[in-house]
Amino acid sequence: MANASAYRGTGFDFSNYARNSFLEKKGVPLPKATSTGTTIVGCIFKDGVVLGADTRATEGDIVADKNCEKIHYITENIRCCGAGTAADTEFTTAMISSNMELHSLSTGRIPRVVTAMTMLKQYLFRYQGHVGAALVLGGVDSTGSHLFTIAPHGSADKLPYVTMGSGSLAAMAVFESGWKPNMDRQEALNLVVAAVSAGIFNDLGSGSNVDTCVITKDHTEMLRNYRKPNERVQKENTYKFRRGTTAWTKEKIRELVVDETVVPLPHPVSAGGDAMDTS
Amino acid sequence: MFLTRSEYDRGVNTFSPEGRLFQGGTSRICYRGNQGKREIALDICLNINDGECFVFLQLGSTTVGVRTPEGVVLGVEKRVQSPLLESSTIEKIVEIDTHLGCAMSGLTADARTMIDHARVTAQNHAFTYDEPIKVESVTQAVCDLALRFGESVHDEDAMMSRPFGVALLIAGTDENGPQLFHTDPSGTFMRYDAKAIGSGSEAAQAELQDKWHTRMTLREAQILTLRILKQVMEEKLDQHNVQLAQVTKDNGFQILNETELRSVIEEM
Amino acid sequence: MQRQFNPYTENGGTILAIAGADFAVIAGDTRQTEGFNIQTRYAPKVFRLTDKAVLAVNGFAADGNMFVKKVKQRLEWYRHAHAKDMPLRAIARLIQTMLYAQRFFPYYVYNILGGIEDDGSGAVYSFDPVGSYERETCRAAGAAQQLVQPFLDNQIYFKNQVPPPGVAGGHPTHLPLDRVLSIVTDSFTSATERHIEVGDGLELYVVLAKGRSPQGLEGLRAAHVREVTGHTDGERVFVINQELKKD
Repeated sequence: MANASAYRGTGFDFSNYARNSFLEKKGVPLPKATSTGTTIVGCIFKDGVVLGADTRATEGDIVADKNCEKIHYITENIRCCGAGTAADTEFTTAMISSNMELHSLSTGRIPRVVTAMTMLKQYLFRYQGHVGAALVLGGVDSTGSHLFTIAPHGSADKLPYVTMGSGSLAAMAVFESGWKPNMDRQEALNLVVAAVSAGIFNDLGSGSNVDTCVITKDHTEMLRNYRKPNERVQKENTYKFRRGTTAWTKEKIRELVVDETVVPLPHPVSAGGDAMDTS
Repeated sequence: MFLTRSEYDRGVNTFSPEGRLFQGGTSRICYRGNQGKREIALDICLNINDGECFVFLQLGSTTVGVRTPEGVVLGVEKRVQSPLLESSTIEKIVEIDTHLGCAMSGLTADARTMIDHARVTAQNHAFTYDEPIKVESVTQAVCDLALRFGESVHDEDAMMSRPFGVALLIAGTDENGPQLFHTDPSGTFMRYDAKAIGSGSEAAQAELQDKWHTRMTLREAQILTLRILKQVMEEKLDQHNVQLAQVTKDNGFQILNETELRSVIEEM
Repeated sequence: MQRQFNPYTENGGTILAIAGADFAVIAGDTRQTEGFNIQTRYAPKVFRLTDKAVLAVNGFAADGNMFVKKVKQRLEWYRHAHAKDMPLRAIARLIQTMLYAQRFFPYYVYNILGGIEDDGSGAVYSFDPVGSYERETCRAAGAAQQLVQPFLDNQIYFKNQVPPPGVAGGHPTHLPLDRVLSIVTDSFTSATERHIEVGDGLELYVVLAKGRSPQGLEGLRAAHVREVTGHTDGERVFVINQELKKD
């Protein structure tokens, strides 16, 4: 590399691309990314927006995290639910969050939801769907309440109620039957809980708890684990092992406290008049 | 009775309203071979009709089976028709499986088919179920075969042209202990404590009825079998003109060799 | 590029069986899935064949149901032909021959057979889809096999556990019924926690050897225990139903 500096340019590093595609041809599979199987939803009500998400993260058919957070912070008045590749949703929302903060600092205004939406979709479009983030973006700004979905390829929709992720059909079924305009806060919250619950119980990619977030004109309330309908039952047995259960093949005890004597060397006699330059 | 042909005599297994099989009694039995055999074939049909197949089978050599709590003994008379005949080649007691044996009387050639079937059935059972087949089950299988004669129906495998002309004594052990079964050409089978078939069977059976008891030992059964054979045989009984076999729980089916046979004869 | 019809699907779920000295426990969850969908929350995967044999099937549900149907038919034929119930080891061999008969278009099913042998001992037989089989003390199969089998190896076979010093004979070869039942329950509640295809309900069969007291069952709530024995004075079969998480 011509530039020996530790600095790297912004954006993705593709330097392993050739190597990895070679390995893939040789039959070495690419590592599987954690996917947030997921049910995420959003719904507009009289005074603002309610977002909702389940808390299950999966790796194939294994539950990787039973209580992960899928409602990401963008700005104080804007939040974003993420479905798809966990790393992509986390990284993308964090990056846009930073850029929104910078934007707000430089404009001196409370940032708008459309701004976040535009930044997100332009970013996702640039990567042609390879950044696997499916998002539900919601917030309240000077222009009112807004709710968007942004698909991994960069398309965005503005709707009064939206769902995303593998549980989106289950959740949408609830919205389609229960949503009405100008709901109050509790009605909207109940509907969101019902929609996410439909995903949790009917979609295998979704599970565990319901997180919600209520955003109104001058207040945002993050309701982490608003409902916990899937607490683990108590185990029948305790699985504590007797001391000495694990077999060992070799025993070696090392003394960690080491005694040492320090013998100071006699001061060297200067050979000439030239003293060492210590400046 | 068989003077007028009717629509009931077209197939050997077509019953008339009176419950009779006509074809067997008339002329269309197709057994290509010499006249004597054909007669026999007709006889078999007739006798099945009357449920008296044993009348015909009385032509066969005398065969005796005795069940005891220790095991079952089978004994046959080998009719050595010529001094030039190698008596050891007369095989009237055979193994079906390690726990099953069979003695025959009648057209012993026919028995080959039945025994082959029994052996295949036994092996098939052991292969499929990892257990020895029951004595009754193998007997049933043989008897199922006994009725597969006549004319084949559309798709079915070609059938046999005539019934079997042999009766069997099937001996074996299973979870129900030592057992002895008798089968006849009609496909009927029955379980016996002791049974004699063949030419000397009438006298032999009477003797068995007299001498058999529930707590008989295997040795006693061997001796009884030989004594009965001796009574009904024309020649003097020795180790060459009889064959003895037994089925026990521990050792399964065994044909007694000449030495063993001689020792029983001596003890007789 | 050519598209082809795929006759198989995988319907999730997990089964397991553990043999005791004079009993056997055969269990399975009741969820049936396809992809990320739940087809039903109650589809039994464990079936009573006779009073001494219970069969658990897992994999492709359509094949599993058909296979059980055919095994039951063969058992009935056997009963008519031989005037007795088929012994457990005979059923095991029969299942092998039935599976191997489909060697080149297999039943996409993992079978676990549990029950009581003719000598009165508890037994478990496990099979692969084309009929390789083996008698074992315990076996898990299905979606969460990778989660459950190591746990069973540790808790039933005491793998990677040094026996306590001074105990004659080391680890026990068979565990009591109440311990086995609690291990089975814990296996399924734990598999439900970490495997998305496991859950909804647990259906558990207990087969007791002839003359064995139902000791170990009485600790469970009676409402969930059902006796399904066919004939009196032989082996006894019980079904226990428990709830599992539904997410």
